[in-house]
Amino acid sequence: MRSNKYVITFVTVMTVVVALVLSLMATGLKPVHKKNEAIFNKKAILSAIESRLGDGVKADKMADEKVLSIFNDNITQLVVDINGNPVSAEDVEARGYKGGQAENVDMKKEKKKPAEDRLYPVFIYENNGEKYYIVSVRGNGLWDEIWGNIALEDDFETIVGASFDHQGETPGLGAEIKDNPAFKKQFAGKKIYDKMGNYTSVVVRKGGARNDRYEVDGISGATVTANGVSDMLYSGLQNYLSYFETQSKS
Amino acid sequence: MADTKIENKEPLFAFGKKERALLTDPLNDNNPITVQVLGICSALAVTTLLFPSIIMAIAVIFVCSFSNLFTSLLRKSIPKQVRMIVQLVIIATLVTVVELSLKALDYPTYKQLSVFIGLIITNCIVMGRLEAFAMANSPWKSFLDGVGNGVGYGVILIIVAFFREVLGKGTFMAGTPIEMKLIGPSTEYFINTMADGSWFSWYQNNNLMVLPAAAMFLIAIMIWIHRAWNPKLVDIS
Amino acid sequence: MELVNVFIKAAFIENLVLSYFLGMCSFLAVSKTLKTAFGLGLAVIFVLGFTMPINWLISTYLLDEGGLLGMDLTFLRFILFIAVIASMVQLVEMVIEKYSPSLYNSLGIFLPLITVNCAILGGSLFMVSREYSFGESVAFGLGGGFGWFLAIVALAAIREKIKYSNVPAPLRGLGMAFLLTGLMGMAFLSLLGIDPAAF
Repeated sequence: MRSNKYVITFVTVMTVVVALVLSLMATGLKPVHKKNEAIFNKKAILSAIESRLGDGVKADKMADEKVLSIFNDNITQLVVDINGNPVSAEDVEARGYKGGQAENVDMKKEKKKPAEDRLYPVFIYENNGEKYYIVSVRGNGLWDEIWGNIALEDDFETIVGASFDHQGETPGLGAEIKDNPAFKKQFAGKKIYDKMGNYTSVVVRKGGARNDRYEVDGISGATVTANGVSDMLYSGLQNYLSYFETQSKS
Repeated sequence: MADTKIENKEPLFAFGKKERALLTDPLNDNNPITVQVLGICSALAVTTLLFPSIIMAIAVIFVCSFSNLFTSLLRKSIPKQVRMIVQLVIIATLVTVVELSLKALDYPTYKQLSVFIGLIITNCIVMGRLEAFAMANSPWKSFLDGVGNGVGYGVILIIVAFFREVLGKGTFMAGTPIEMKLIGPSTEYFINTMADGSWFSWYQNNNLMVLPAAAMFLIAIMIWIHRAWNPKLVDIS
Repeated sequence: MELVNVFIKAAFIENLVLSYFLGMCSFLAVSKTLKTAFGLGLAVIFVLGFTMPINWLISTYLLDEGGLLGMDLTFLRFILFIAVIASMVQLVEMVIEKYSPSLYNSLGIFLPLITVNCAILGGSLFMVSREYSFGESVAFGLGGGFGWFLAIVALAAIREKIKYSNVPAPLRGLGMAFLLTGLMGMAFLSLLGIDPAAF
């Protein structure tokens, strides 16, 4: 047995050493962490329009520089409110998002607020006369939150592509919304209005799509997640409708 | 005469028969997973894909060997009363180092492994080796013991992940530049496929393999094979 | 209602052992007899129920950037969590020893083991990554503990029975325990479709 004094000295010295080493490492690597996180999110956004970025391009395998250059040259970021009015960068910063850009808006925090108070990020991609609008949606899956980015043509009706991610859906079942490229691919070309012009969003239909225009096939064994995707798309896109209206009029 | 003198004094970095045994023993007779039943907890949930499992195995080897090394270096000055806490702090520090590095080097994999990197702390192998070996042996030996146990664990992890990925998703090393569709119908999503589409193009992905239960079955089968081949390990109780 | 929801999810649907393999070491090692399994299960409920709220307070008020210190100290999370767990286990041990020696005697040797039970640390890490509120973290702790308890008691009961069966020699003991856990996991999967909100 050692004396108490020895024990206390030992523990103190160890704590100081450990805290010093870790804090040095954490501060040193912080810029890299921040950069990685930003690129990860940017890739998720680009993943919604990857079919239009060129043949065989996969957003998640793109080089970091390429991602940044697309964001610099082709993408305009915009934050709107529920009525479709743009929110200035200062106002966005005032809400606690450093940088004030659309990519800085934390959808997780926004989801907890009532729909009227939320901020809605929009990413406008322009290249050689093509123009796509990418919007972010967030909802609940089976276990936890699911989210996605949806790209629309400039008719604000036709979907170009979609990408999804999740916090903790079952691998092989619900997680297929992210892992299965075939699921995502179905969204391309779907409309969010029916023939009469009523808003329908895109519905993930268990047992196979019945309507070519706005339904896609579900995933077997993952009904709850699929319904979560439908609900997320319905309410998520609905919140952007007034923005779409103001844009298509102008 | 001079030779015998050197033999009596244990060299710092010897690599003889005993040291080799420290590395190879955990691969067979003393495998942490199939024999000692340690450390199954944290890592099996990540074995749906091969690549994250390899990262996980490397992380465990790193933590296991260096925590053994540091504990052994400090073994004479660690006060008995706070032994456990000191060991846990060493492990937790190393795991934090792993987490911070992974976050900087490979962010998508870091996202994928999420909480399971942190769970290396409670991986019983690490703690178990500190108590059973590092507290009583020299730093170099402890380090080798840590590497051996880490590898013994990693090997099982990688075997399980290989079967789960190939049978469950039909892919090999998905998420890396060398990924390929190994069996089942080829899809355009994968750049590298086997020459003619892929092997066994009739194969339908077995979703059971992706579910957690499959890892259990695979380990049970491995234990069965291991013990049938090495009968002295059979549980007689 | 949200809390009941979290409890049921943690206990049955996303059982810590059967769907995340957390706490596997002691789960397999201590499930040979029903009595000890019961004791360990209770101790896990206890420790999990206590450490989750404490770790919640630590991570929200000390480590978070928006906390009292105003600094991002999340890199200290692992060390602080494991220290809380280790001291909590020690505390629980002392309290039980003082007030209920009989329970202490039946649990005694298993209590220190809980420190390295991945289910405890795993619970705390899940709580952080899922951003639970304080109430939810309590419900998650109790539910997760209860689910762990349920799983180990069920496995111990099956293993007691299976001792009398003619299992192939290499599969005896450990191998069989793995197979049983896998089957139990699949059985628990059938609870997937349950909507906890219906309760």
